Amino acid sequence: MSFSLKKSYRLLLLLILFMVIIGIWRPNALLDGLQRGSLYAIIALPLALVLGILGVLNLAHGDFLTVGFYLIYMLYSRFNLDPLVSIVPAVLFLILLSGGIYLLTVKNVLKDGHLNQLLITFGISLVLIETINIIWTSRPRNVYTDYAYSAIEVGGFRFGTYELLYILIAVAVLVALQWFLKNTRLGQATFAVGQNPKGARIVGINVNFVYLFVFSVSIGILGIVAGFMLPRTAIFPGVGSPFSLKSFALAAMAGLGNLNGILIAGVTLGIGEAVINSIPNYGGWSDIVFFGVLIIVIISRSYRRAR
Amino acid sequence: MKKYILPILLVILSVILPFIAGTYLLHIFTSILVFLALSLSWDMMLRTGQLSFGTAGFFGLGAYASALIVVKLGFDPILSLLVGAIFSGVIAFFLGFVVLRLREIYFAITTLALTHVFSVVIRNLPELTGGSSGTILSNAIFNGDPIKIYYMILIITLTVIGISEIFKRTRIHFAINSIRNDETTAKSSGINVFKYLLFVFVVTSAIQGLVGAAYVQQYAFVNPESTFSLNFLLLPIAMALVGGIYSTNGPIIGAFLLGLIAEYLKLQMPYGHLIVYGLIIVFVVLFMPQGIYKPIKNTVIGIGKTGGDINA
Repeated sequence: MSFSLKKSYRLLLLLILFMVIIGIWRPNALLDGLQRGSLYAIIALPLALVLGILGVLNLAHGDFLTVGFYLIYMLYSRFNLDPLVSIVPAVLFLILLSGGIYLLTVKNVLKDGHLNQLLITFGISLVLIETINIIWTSRPRNVYTDYAYSAIEVGGFRFGTYELLYILIAVAVLVALQWFLKNTRLGQATFAVGQNPKGARIVGINVNFVYLFVFSVSIGILGIVAGFMLPRTAIFPGVGSPFSLKSFALAAMAGLGNLNGILIAGVTLGIGEAVINSIPNYGGWSDIVFFGVLIIVIISRSYRRAR
Repeated sequence: MKKYILPILLVILSVILPFIAGTYLLHIFTSILVFLALSLSWDMMLRTGQLSFGTAGFFGLGAYASALIVVKLGFDPILSLLVGAIFSGVIAFFLGFVVLRLREIYFAITTLALTHVFSVVIRNLPELTGGSSGTILSNAIFNGDPIKIYYMILIITLTVIGISEIFKRTRIHFAINSIRNDETTAKSSGINVFKYLLFVFVVTSAIQGLVGAAYVQQYAFVNPESTFSLNFLLLPIAMALVGGIYSTNGPIIGAFLLGLIAEYLKLQMPYGHLIVYGLIIVFVVLFMPQGIYKPIKNTVIGIGKTGGDINA
């Protein structure tokens, strides 16, 4: 599994062009899409990291996000902690939880075929969902904060300020991740393991530790996402599951290891979804954007490979 | 002759079951048979080395085809079962040309995505399908007579078991096994890999469609939420894994074992009894990759032969 950071200026240009067109046609959809897209991208980044470095497609990815949601919800309802403050304990908890799960399960199937890896993360996903179901039942819950619904008006065009945060966070997480991978020892080791695990082992990198680190920190990032998303999201046990597939769609679209590409792909699909959503009577079709793109990308890649 | 005694006894037992069991037990066995058929069809696809997550999708397609043709065109419910099977099979045939070029996680993910696509499409065609609230049939098949429904499902399940055995005993078996073990070698020994994959894909999808049709005629109700439920994917997988994959007996044992456990747990804890399935999947993949059928068979027969790994 090769892993590298590619520059994707051409794609970026196309994206900007696309955004300008949408911006003129449906400005609301552009804004909505930007926010959704950034959200999808931050959720997809960790999945892509695990997929690129461990080679494991984590089908429980979205459900770890759900665990983060419920943890923060619990802190809110019991101790009245602000969701944004709860991010710290949530990240720590998710790191510990995913680290434990990794050591108990995923670690043992790394050398097995893809079948075992898919099945085991599938099983983990089910266990997480149902554990939440047992503790909190399937009743939807939400958290109310004042700041989440603040809005500003610019030239007669009114929009929420809180969701703009998503874009900032997506960029911040992406930049931080890239900085980490390039400039720290552990980051460079991660890079090396992603490119060639055997070679990395020979030059003395503790590959098992890197795997554990990547898996648990990736899931930890979801804690940040959960904290920011919760004030605007009603949660139920299955709320995170669709994100696993959507994240994989982005990772597949961007190509393995192309972290910048994920943000671009996320924003593109987010806007696509928002545009379809804004068409009256056809809003329901927006769910098909991700799955449709996923199928088309995978199949067209397979044709290109065959040629 | 000796080895046929147990299967024949079991078939006889399943035929006379309605006369000895109560309605509740009969209902449980009916749903176990439904999942048994799905489990076997998933396993048949897996024998070619392709992990399909599309079971629920083709199940739902068959269910909708059967329900709609009864509601809109007034077809006979029994005939509509065939329509469900054929519809799923035909869709699988055309999708197969593109999907079956994919391997490993890409095949698995694409089939999972297709399941979602089917459900989104059906939800967004309210004039035809009733949208997200679904369609209600005026009457269940056989007026909802549990004994006749049981026999209908039993016949379907026995047919599926028969197909699975044909796959195991004829030359298809060798082709499928060699594709799973090494595709390049299979191709170079003159096996038309794509043809066999397509054949198995169409057959298993048609089975899933048939089961879906039977299921929907039994409950006289379809909606996207429950018809494309991941339960129709998860439970069959868990059953096949527990019993032992790549065999006919494995899914049968797994289905009865898990089906009875699940029914018991459903009464004990209404919320989250599915956690057991998750734990079982994880546990089986980690510690018993052969399921329980093979180890039992080996100890009973006394051959110390170890079977293949789950990936073999």
